[in-house]
Amino acid sequence: MSTMRQELEASARKVFPDWQSAADGDQAWATMAELGWFMAGVPEDQGGLGLGQADLAAIWWELGRALVPGAAVAQIAAIEALASCPAFDGRDALLEAAMAGDPVALSLDPQATHSAVPSADQARHLLVCAPGKLTLVPLEGAALTHAETWDTSRRLFDVAGTNEAQAIILATGAEADRIAARVRGLICMGLAGDALGGAAALLDMCIAYLGTRRQFDRPVAMFQALKHRVADLKCALDTAEAFYREVAASETRDLARIGAMKAHCCEVYKAVAEEAVQFHGGNGLTQEYPVHLFLKRAFLNRALGGSTDFWTEQAGRAALA
Amino acid sequence: MTSRGMEHALDRLRADLREWLAVNAPQDWRDAATHEAFVAGQRDWFAKLVGAGYAIPHWPREWPGGGRSLAEQKVIYEELAKADSPRLLLSFVSTYHAYATLMECGSPEQKARYLPAILEGETWCQGFSEPGAGSDLAAIKTKAERRGDVYVVNGQKVWSTMAQYADMCLLLVRTSNEGAKQAGMTYLLMDMKSPGVSVRPIRQIQGDEEFAEIFLDDVEIPVSQLVGSEGGGWEVAQATLASERGLTLMELSYRMRGALARIAEEIRQAGLVADAGILRDFGRLSTRIDAVCALADRFLEKRMAGDEQVGDASIVKLAYSRALRDYADLGTRIAGLAAQYRRPITFGDLNSGNWLADFMNSYAWTIAGGSDEIQRNIIAERMLGMPREPKGWKLEQGA
Repeated sequence: MSTMRQELEASARKVFPDWQSAADGDQAWATMAELGWFMAGVPEDQGGLGLGQADLAAIWWELGRALVPGAAVAQIAAIEALASCPAFDGRDALLEAAMAGDPVALSLDPQATHSAVPSADQARHLLVCAPGKLTLVPLEGAALTHAETWDTSRRLFDVAGTNEAQAIILATGAEADRIAARVRGLICMGLAGDALGGAAALLDMCIAYLGTRRQFDRPVAMFQALKHRVADLKCALDTAEAFYREVAASETRDLARIGAMKAHCCEVYKAVAEEAVQFHGGNGLTQEYPVHLFLKRAFLNRALGGSTDFWTEQAGRAALA
Repeated sequence: MTSRGMEHALDRLRADLREWLAVNAPQDWRDAATHEAFVAGQRDWFAKLVGAGYAIPHWPREWPGGGRSLAEQKVIYEELAKADSPRLLLSFVSTYHAYATLMECGSPEQKARYLPAILEGETWCQGFSEPGAGSDLAAIKTKAERRGDVYVVNGQKVWSTMAQYADMCLLLVRTSNEGAKQAGMTYLLMDMKSPGVSVRPIRQIQGDEEFAEIFLDDVEIPVSQLVGSEGGGWEVAQATLASERGLTLMELSYRMRGALARIAEEIRQAGLVADAGILRDFGRLSTRIDAVCALADRFLEKRMAGDEQVGDASIVKLAYSRALRDYADLGTRIAGLAAQYRRPITFGDLNSGNWLADFMNSYAWTIAGGSDEIQRNIIAERMLGMPREPKGWKLEQGA
């Protein structure tokens, strides 16, 4: 394990020790900016920390583990686009502000550019990845509709009425598509890591819970029917983690591979969350226990960044080639 | 060595081995029509690998081709898999289980007698499991009684891989019924040609005969064949069982990934290349197999770094065995009725593309070597700290 990864994890666990610690979204956002997470992937000569995917992977994981609310995945992906596009007037100032926590909005739905935009109400610009054209659209005067999701840790907006004439063109043609693919890859890495961090935290919670509940004069954790289901989830989780870290460390730009990995990890999160509700019995279907928060985020993660069906079909095509 | 130097050495090993395999890797091993022919091929292939110094990379340096680091062993198995050479099944128990047992617990005389013979082709089988002692190995009943200079052994062993071809047997017996079940166990090295030993191959679900039963009827085994101490068999058996896990599962995972081409071929033949449902199922499986390969790699890395934790090996085996089942299942489904017509089986290939045979054969990995259920117990209890079941349940209580 790299020293950087250890440092990132240690500092994250200090400020976000558990799922409750990041509940205040504004506070969590300021903390992430202070920790330098928004500048982590930006090259050092552009004022960033110059970290690679393997280290960023630690950040995504921590976001999910602590159910950190807000638009961190979109922010970091948008910053990547700002940093890697050709220079334009005012780029350095925008980049610097974004790295310091000034939100840049970005849709997390690859099929759309103006919907499923987290925290759009806090951003001044929307990054729009259209085919052959990457633009930064001002949000001033735009109509924003908060489309409420079951998961309340991310607030998604539909954006309309933007003044596209005021848009700053960041890149066009093949270069725009290359950067857009990079952005999508980062979103998938982010959602995958978020999924596994969440799944790992939730599984730990389940094991602790099963150990404390007693029925038939024994902890329910003693029942093999439950132990084996926990073991299967642990197996799925470790397998997905190995894959996640391998894809991250490979620094691959192969979007189909990253997407397939994302789909795999999000299915594991969903499986852990689905079982977690059942493991918690009646308490699992209340809002008095946090299981529902993980379940809702697991489903949202799976739906964002391209669906499982989309990515597995791509993977099938790739494996057939 | 510097890490750059090490990488250079690994690249060199890989290049040399690739060159050697291009000339020497058997191409026609899948054509073996009988188990005997397959075994003959196994003997030849093992002898070739011994000669070239690739058969026993995990043995110490004084042996030909020994003294390889785990990183080098990984390269060797990766290349053996990529070259689609036959897996070393016949010699597996000999070079891993017998070797590890003798190295860790054998006497100098035992080592001198048996280790060199392994390289000359002497083969071993494992006599551990019994009809009433599989997952619960300590429940073995095969009895050994000391009479002068010999142990007289009576009982039955089962699921012994290729016992019908073995020269020697790693035999676990009971010498006492006093105290803990484990304390009465003793470990012996048995010559399979001893009077009173009879072997019956077991006809498996798909027609292979990879396992056999061993019947022991007043078999006399000299006391010099004792490994460790009388009553110390359980500890010796742990050395046998811990001898290998990571490399085989990595090799098998890589072979399964390579064999995704067989499913791709079925999809093409069935004209389903544009069928979204099939593409998704195939994509899901290939992604999962990629993940299993990554897991096997990571496990070996942890081993190399000395970071292996209890349960890690169980997770790799469980992940592989379940993926293997699903691999065969998808092939069976896509091939449709064609998979139902009986074809001759391919010996020694878990991903042969003879789909229903592959499916049936995959149980060998979900049952043998510690069943999936035992692996789940290990993961839940020893790794995750979930409480063990209370002991002391008696048969009469269940009536």
